[in-house]
Amino acid sequence: MAEIRKAAVIGAGTMGAAIAAQFANAGTPVLLLDIVPQGASSRNALAEGAIAKMLKTDPAPFMSKSAARLVTPGNIEDDLPKLAECDWVVEAIIERLDLKQDLYRKIDAVRKPGCAISSNTSTIPLAKLVEGLSEGFARDFLITHFFNPPRYMRLLEIVTGPATDKALAAKVEEFTDIHLGKSIVRTQDSPGFIANRLGVYWLMLGVIEALDAGLAIEDADAVMSKPVGIPKTGVFGLIDLVGLDLMPHINASLAATLPKSDAFHAANRDLPLIKKMIAEGYIGRKGKGGFYRKGKAGKESIGLATGDYRPSIKSNIPEAGQKNLRKLLSGESKASRYAWRVLGQTLSYAASLVGEAADDITAIDAAMKLGYNWRFGPFELIDQLGADWLAEKLQKDGFAVPPQLAAAKGKTFYRLQNNTPEYLGQDGAYHAVARAPGVLLLEDIKRTAKPVLKNASAAVWDIGDGVLCFEYTSKSNSLDAQNLDLLNQTIDLKPKALVIYNEGQNFSAGANLGLGLFAANIAAWGEIEKLVAQGHDVYKKLKYAPFPTVAAPFGMALGGGCEILLHSSAVQAHAEAYIGLVECGVGLVPAWGGCSEMLARWQANPKMPRGPMPAAAKVFEIVSTATVSKSAAEAKEYLFLKPTDGITMNRDRLLADAKARALRLVDGYTPPAPPTYKLPGLSGHTAMNLAAADFRKKGIATAYDMVVANELANVLSGGKADIIDEVSEKDILALERAAFMRLIRNEGTAARIEAMLTTGKPLRN
Amino acid sequence: MKQAVIAGYVRSPFTLAGKGALAHTRPDDLAAATVAALVARTGVKAADLEALILGCAFPEAEQGLNIARLTVLLAGLPQSVAGYTVNQFCGSSMQAIHIAAGHIATGAGDVFIAGGVESMSRVPMTGFNILPNPKLAATVPGAYMGMGETAENVAKKWNIARQAQEEFALRSQKRAAAAIAAGNFRDEIIPVHAKGGEVSVDGCPRPDSTAEGLAALKPAFDAAGSVTAATSSPLTDGATAVLVCSEDYAKANGLKPIARIVSAASAGCAPEIMGIGPVAATRKALQRAGLEIGAIDVVELNEAFASQSIACAQELGIREEVLNIDGGAIALGHPLGATGARLVGKAASLLQRTGKRYALATQCIGGGQGIATILERV
Repeated sequence: MAEIRKAAVIGAGTMGAAIAAQFANAGTPVLLLDIVPQGASSRNALAEGAIAKMLKTDPAPFMSKSAARLVTPGNIEDDLPKLAECDWVVEAIIERLDLKQDLYRKIDAVRKPGCAISSNTSTIPLAKLVEGLSEGFARDFLITHFFNPPRYMRLLEIVTGPATDKALAAKVEEFTDIHLGKSIVRTQDSPGFIANRLGVYWLMLGVIEALDAGLAIEDADAVMSKPVGIPKTGVFGLIDLVGLDLMPHINASLAATLPKSDAFHAANRDLPLIKKMIAEGYIGRKGKGGFYRKGKAGKESIGLATGDYRPSIKSNIPEAGQKNLRKLLSGESKASRYAWRVLGQTLSYAASLVGEAADDITAIDAAMKLGYNWRFGPFELIDQLGADWLAEKLQKDGFAVPPQLAAAKGKTFYRLQNNTPEYLGQDGAYHAVARAPGVLLLEDIKRTAKPVLKNASAAVWDIGDGVLCFEYTSKSNSLDAQNLDLLNQTIDLKPKALVIYNEGQNFSAGANLGLGLFAANIAAWGEIEKLVAQGHDVYKKLKYAPFPTVAAPFGMALGGGCEILLHSSAVQAHAEAYIGLVECGVGLVPAWGGCSEMLARWQANPKMPRGPMPAAAKVFEIVSTATVSKSAAEAKEYLFLKPTDGITMNRDRLLADAKARALRLVDGYTPPAPPTYKLPGLSGHTAMNLAAADFRKKGIATAYDMVVANELANVLSGGKADIIDEVSEKDILALERAAFMRLIRNEGTAARIEAMLTTGKPLRN
Repeated sequence: MKQAVIAGYVRSPFTLAGKGALAHTRPDDLAAATVAALVARTGVKAADLEALILGCAFPEAEQGLNIARLTVLLAGLPQSVAGYTVNQFCGSSMQAIHIAAGHIATGAGDVFIAGGVESMSRVPMTGFNILPNPKLAATVPGAYMGMGETAENVAKKWNIARQAQEEFALRSQKRAAAAIAAGNFRDEIIPVHAKGGEVSVDGCPRPDSTAEGLAALKPAFDAAGSVTAATSSPLTDGATAVLVCSEDYAKANGLKPIARIVSAASAGCAPEIMGIGPVAATRKALQRAGLEIGAIDVVELNEAFASQSIACAQELGIREEVLNIDGGAIALGHPLGATGARLVGKAASLLQRTGKRYALATQCIGGGQGIATILERV
């Protein structure tokens, strides 16, 4: 079957435009069409305006500014014939059946056979959407329900109808998975599908139970977040984030379509407070504020009883620290009872959706984990509590126990059988939890294998075909002497190829600053210098290893976590990789070869003007400002990644792609030759200091920035190098180390590190 | 000694660097189009030309390799015409005119094209390889000081308040807008073929500027300062060309002289207040011409910054009604190496338009210099 080479999105609202942006992020050309607005100067004004707005939006829908060029704006009066070139058309217009069907008929008239048509509807059943349309249309039609913002939300719900062509749906799924990077959850054609139906129920309960209990919203959010593995926005913070104005629409739609017996109706209470807030423009973060707002004197919160804003309180309820979920839900305090009433009913409702909204429990867990960033899915939470315990407590408190929960009596919803995770099916039997084809997860490997090497900060795994995987296991994957040591030992094993990868929250946020500060506080300068030297040695050993090495970053790869990428033969990065040399932010300079590698990359860049200064000046600009890329695509623009490095859109496919890249490099692999440099020396150092002084004048750079910039300038200009001399890699490394050691002894640097450790924010001293 | 005259002046449209319509145009192509248009408009016999003297402030990359000679070849002038590039930063093309006049006076040629070019889109200010002398940077910090900082220094030293700078900038914008509306630039701007089609109008002016809008801007160079983007000339792409010949040659060859070059001068000042450079240069030029400032009825003073323009006008006693009557660089733009020839060419043509007798063209120069030319209507 043909691939999806060109797509179209109709409807240039927030969702439609951002879906188009995600196609562009995947490198797929996409048409973005909307109606011709009355009185506008351009017939494509809506799509053009949406693209322009997205280029200014933060967080950005585009992974790089250049991706925007792949989106072609148009309108549905002039440009519908262009749909004939498209392999997939996504409809994301207003939620009105008549308008959607009218559009479908027009699309059906121009599209090529086998072109997939999907709706991004969140409220209209598929059966209604295809009613009265051609057979061919129904065959090629499905619902693809993206979540906002589509670039960042991994969840995509897919609904197919009885007439939908399975092969076509598979093609859309494959493209969505591999190219758009989404994790697919198949749902039934039932109201709200899974995520909205269960999520909205949970949020509504979260609001009305807090109202009934007279709980402050700060306390409600404190208990309905960390102790249950839910993001810190809890209930009220999340409603502010998605927008209060959306709730009445979704609620009305669910209320109209769900059967009278559904538990949703009891939670869907008319709330005058929310009505008033929406009427006054308090629709959440996108408006003037919501349950929380920024007041003149600081953060303010709505008092649920009064409906008026008051200064926010810092919740210090002990329940927020309760790690035992059963204890939390059994407590008699106001917050505990709240947690029980909200979560108990939500879990019960989740169980009731098995078979109706979802085929099995894994879809529901995936929807809540991917769509709401829950750490555990509802059924994983039930297993923590015990299905029997939950059923008993529900019954005791007068809540209904759905048969799906009762059926799990004496069982767990998940189990590990021969190291393979299994889930409890509706048939009462256990089934293997399926991974999409081609997905390789370290989590799965680790369940069965023993590490090849291991210490307190890292482990090495055999991932097959002679490839080893080096994994950080330290706190926050920070870098220390131990994981450097294990990397050194790993290189000595001379595997066929090495992949550097892990499955933490972030690839690595860099060196362990706490240890560094501790060593500095006791003036253990020798120890610090030893660690710098060790990093130099191990990273160079990695760079010149006789076998290919592929680093696979995702999330943050900062400081030393960026430098390891710079020393790998190649990088396979997740599209959402935030990469940067941020050492200057804590008063240091990159000293594990970050300066030398970045200089080499920029000097070798054919787009740079010739001469000793341009590359050095460019690296100075990037590093002195602690620049972090906002995507892997952007990391290529800074040369944190090479143009030839790979980008994986789906996080779950990163390891498999990295391994494949490593294997591709094996045949005929030769390590790189050490670079040499022509650098501007003192003159360049002077020029960089002049540039920094301009920033100081403008009020952008601080006094201590000047001290750090001066050290960085010394390294990047090659110290006392003369423009006619050749500078070696070793020379730069020596300059890096000397600059680092001078700075670490400086009180300004100590203050910056301390602030970073205590507040998580850079100190601008 | 032979008398040098200005016998023609044209310029390319001036457009914003980076985003303007000429950003994709090579500076040598831009200069060649301008020079060729001057030859065509004046009817000067190309074979008689002694040389093209081209000013450029950052003569490297596409502006390198002696761009003047390359422009001669690109413009289709005879190979016998010499070409040399002059660099006195912002004073480059005014200096090119002075050199031509000097050559004429000493009998080293009768007819020259003097002009300038700068693509600030394609060759950044300070160039690609800035390599300051560390010793000089330490002993004379002003030598490498950013121009914005010097403008702040002048504002402080001469007590030019932010509001006065903004009033000045607004006046420049209004005068430029009025001049455009009146078609006052039609004779000097030549159309240029660029990537997006023909460009025939200036791209820098902001006729909608308001006092409120200007007052809302943040300082551009010093967080505690008074100089903003609106009270500074914008980074600009552009080229200029002036025909300089002896009065005798003009007569003999049917050219139309518009002004005599009466006197010329360059002068140095402290680099950190380079914006005051026109004062000393103008005083020298006036003295050489035997004139007082009161005798000057047309002044083209380069508006590098409002602060230095006001300070110079105050020091020299220039009346507001004779100063930059068609607007200045704050509105029109300032393609560094090309500006000097615009000022001289414009001053000469304004003498024709107003029927006045004497004009002054003057400008400040980075590194601490000024340059001035005094013209007399023919």
